[in-house]
Amino acid sequence: MKAVKTQPLWRRTLQSNIGYLAVVFFLVIFPHLVGWMTGDSPFGVNGRPRGQSVFWQSVFIEVFILTILAMSYNLIFGFTGVISFGHALFFGLGGYIMGLALERSGLGAEAALLLGAVIGVVVCGVLGFLMGLVSLRLRGVYFAIFTLAIAEMVAIYIGRWPVTNAEDGFPLANMPELINPTRNRLTYYYLALLLVIITFLFIRRLMNSPTGKVLLAIRENENRAQAIGYNTLTYKLLAIALAGMIAAGAGMLHVILNRKVGPEILSVTYTVDPLLMTIIGGVGTFSGPIIGAAGLHLSERIFNREFVIGTTSVNIGENWSLILGIIFVVVVLVFPQGIVGTWTRWRSRRGTARAPAPTVRAANAGD
Amino acid sequence: MTRTRNTYLLIVGLTAALLVFSFLTSAGDLGSFGTTVLSGLFLGALYFLVASGLSIVFGLMDILNFAQGAYFMIGAYVTFALFHSNMFQGIDANLRFPLGVIVATGVGALFGVILERVLLRPLYARPVFQLVLTFGVAIVFGEALKAIWGTEAYSWNPNTSFGIHQSQFEIFGRQFGTYRLVVIAVGALLIVLIGLLLQRTRIGIIIRAGVEDSEMVSALGINVRAVFTMVFTLGCAVAAFGGAIAAPFLGANLGMGNAFLLPGIAVVVLGGLGSYTGTAIGSFLVGLAVAVVAKFSAEFLNQTVWSSMTPMLLLILILLLRPSGLFGKESR
Amino acid sequence: MTDRNNVLEVQAIHTFIGQFHILEGVSVAVPKGSITVLLGRNGAGKTTTLRSIMGLTPPSQGSILLDGQSLVGRRPYTIAQMGVGYVPEHRAIFKELSVRENLVIAQRQRGDLERRTEFIFELFPDLERFYHLPGGNLSGGQQQMLAIARALVPDNRLLLIDEPSEGLAPVIIEHLIAAIRKLAAQATVLLVEQNFRVASLLADRYVIIDDGQSVATGAMQDLRHDEALVHKYLGVA
Repeated sequence: MKAVKTQPLWRRTLQSNIGYLAVVFFLVIFPHLVGWMTGDSPFGVNGRPRGQSVFWQSVFIEVFILTILAMSYNLIFGFTGVISFGHALFFGLGGYIMGLALERSGLGAEAALLLGAVIGVVVCGVLGFLMGLVSLRLRGVYFAIFTLAIAEMVAIYIGRWPVTNAEDGFPLANMPELINPTRNRLTYYYLALLLVIITFLFIRRLMNSPTGKVLLAIRENENRAQAIGYNTLTYKLLAIALAGMIAAGAGMLHVILNRKVGPEILSVTYTVDPLLMTIIGGVGTFSGPIIGAAGLHLSERIFNREFVIGTTSVNIGENWSLILGIIFVVVVLVFPQGIVGTWTRWRSRRGTARAPAPTVRAANAGD
Repeated sequence: MTRTRNTYLLIVGLTAALLVFSFLTSAGDLGSFGTTVLSGLFLGALYFLVASGLSIVFGLMDILNFAQGAYFMIGAYVTFALFHSNMFQGIDANLRFPLGVIVATGVGALFGVILERVLLRPLYARPVFQLVLTFGVAIVFGEALKAIWGTEAYSWNPNTSFGIHQSQFEIFGRQFGTYRLVVIAVGALLIVLIGLLLQRTRIGIIIRAGVEDSEMVSALGINVRAVFTMVFTLGCAVAAFGGAIAAPFLGANLGMGNAFLLPGIAVVVLGGLGSYTGTAIGSFLVGLAVAVVAKFSAEFLNQTVWSSMTPMLLLILILLLRPSGLFGKESR
Repeated sequence: MTDRNNVLEVQAIHTFIGQFHILEGVSVAVPKGSITVLLGRNGAGKTTTLRSIMGLTPPSQGSILLDGQSLVGRRPYTIAQMGVGYVPEHRAIFKELSVRENLVIAQRQRGDLERRTEFIFELFPDLERFYHLPGGNLSGGQQQMLAIARALVPDNRLLLIDEPSEGLAPVIIEHLIAAIRKLAAQATVLLVEQNFRVASLLADRYVIIDDGQSVATGAMQDLRHDEALVHKYLGVA
């Protein structure tokens, strides 16, 4: 233990993050690795997205987007203890605003992208702030209902809004060449990866700051945090607004990747997915949402085909949502700490098996 | 006491406002006004069937069951499937329908027991996970229905249906389905029956006491968990029953769950936590509001989006303006 | 080990609430037909002791015997059915229910209430007057009477009464003392009481709980003369 302390800061940082660095390193070389193994160029063929490497890049970009979304959800649900059933609202609005900026602003691609990103993040931040204000009066399940109602209402309205072609949505053609996922998918891949890393570092920095400690205190017991003298509303507002802004960013990445904006990005799916991913990965942990998002999305890709068992063939992909729901219910029941939480608990239990259980004596609890 | 009087004045005021608005916008067409009001009562009866279980369970067990809409949907699918199944075509339609409703209610009850006993009971110490779990169960039910019956929206053809469903009656020169009147009557009957159960029977006293303080009820020697299971099961069964009797008019589709869950929650919040009277009155208020807005937006705004949004709008307004609801306690 | 004369024997129980270790060895013996009082400062663990007996905050260690039968690990409703009546603090009656309904719910068998109505009305005549009024409309003292009456409806061999005099006017306290004495002729009582005068008027025996442990026990009349003990643990002279 003492030896670690005498080492320089960079060395300690490196050592404690060795796992994350390894993952990042793998993801950086991944497109080239696939390209080398399959012989398909990671850059596609003649500016067209062809080949295994490019295919897997798109799968991983989707993973990155869901990771960002799940991390943003974890910020409010996992770290602050606020239940929201309306997270799709931010994801979808971010996507719509980016889409409108690119297609309807009449600006050049780069300027439009910048405009969409700024407006989308600001609008979702303000919206998160306003919804957060309501949490002053509405707690727990009432706030969850409120967010669900707002998200559903917006989804219904935009689903029939003539300006955005109602349920059909509209395609995106105008986008900067550099990040065009059709022509330059590899660049887009690295951009998404970079955004995942930035989001991760930002949330970890936030949670290790005094502000983060207050958020955790709110999750444990809001009344007590208030009694200690924190203005819990301010902190909750911050968390909800930040989560909204990050989710908006994920929505923007999503529409650019798919080159289409439609009301499905506002649907409850994008609330359920981050919820599932956060809980399955591990609520209130840093790596949980990443593991949840990667695990669920990759397994969906892998199992999305027909399996022949004996004489019957089962198409798991068709019933993927059903399987996902069942997995979710089982996880909530059996491993409520998720993969990461269960793993840490198992490890710490093994480590302290012989140590006596710590007991906290109450100074003035009881009667 | 004045608060109670004000509450009733508010209810009368809101109802009158909705009726007057509807009357004025129907421009003297009494038939149009009449069918709008009846549609509102019809929706109100169905909302009540979803909301009553939601409300009592919420009051007693502190669980807001997000799967309640799915139970409604299960009721509709099961009844639809049984009625139209080739296997049972030998049975007279007038008998086949009530049998279908009974089976659907039973299926709802069965899934209700399973949900409470197997899935919710281990989680009473972790209310957040209960909430999240019912949300997950709603998805599982929806996906399971999709896996069995596909994404098709089924509609019920009146021409091959049972007797009452085929008949119409006239109100100020407009046609209105007799069957929808029956649904209103059944809803009203259930309001009275559940009300009597709560007021007059020992189990009703236990439920009302449990809403106040379930721990104390158990300290009096009553197995509260068994009561929880029973109430939860009944709530799910009533929701499935609602879906079953709605099926001849609404058919069966995957959007039904959410289309009735959110108004149901709006009713519960509007009525006030754990207030049965509030739930009964709230159901018809929300039903009337949805019908009036639907009529108005279809005729004057030429779009139907507003009627789908009405329950959410109401819910948001109630939460913002009066989160304690009509009959709720101030502290909420 | 067990004294056949004791209706209740609590031995060295430990109770946690969440991560807090509230009881760290509480032992209480309640002889048949007696009124035993738990004394101690606020937060000493008296209420938790009653709740542990009732199974509401189950103990993690130690034993609780009711006439020789173990109560540990049983659910609250079974413990109640074994003949334990519980009158919680703060007069936890059902405020939305009428007085009658508050009593009906306490029946364990049909006819319990009819059998006991006369006795209850004799003890607490106010309850007869307001029989059909909601419990929430009663005064504080009347609510306390209702809470006690509720525990009298079935045949209980042991009554756990938590702070009956809390927040009540002196006249009403006198009335309650008389009533509890009268009912103690039929049942055994374990009482929590902060008001030392009330405790000394009612109880035969005492157990002092301090900081989650039972530290002294004996006959109440001895405690009245033991000023040092009273001062040390209760802070009253």
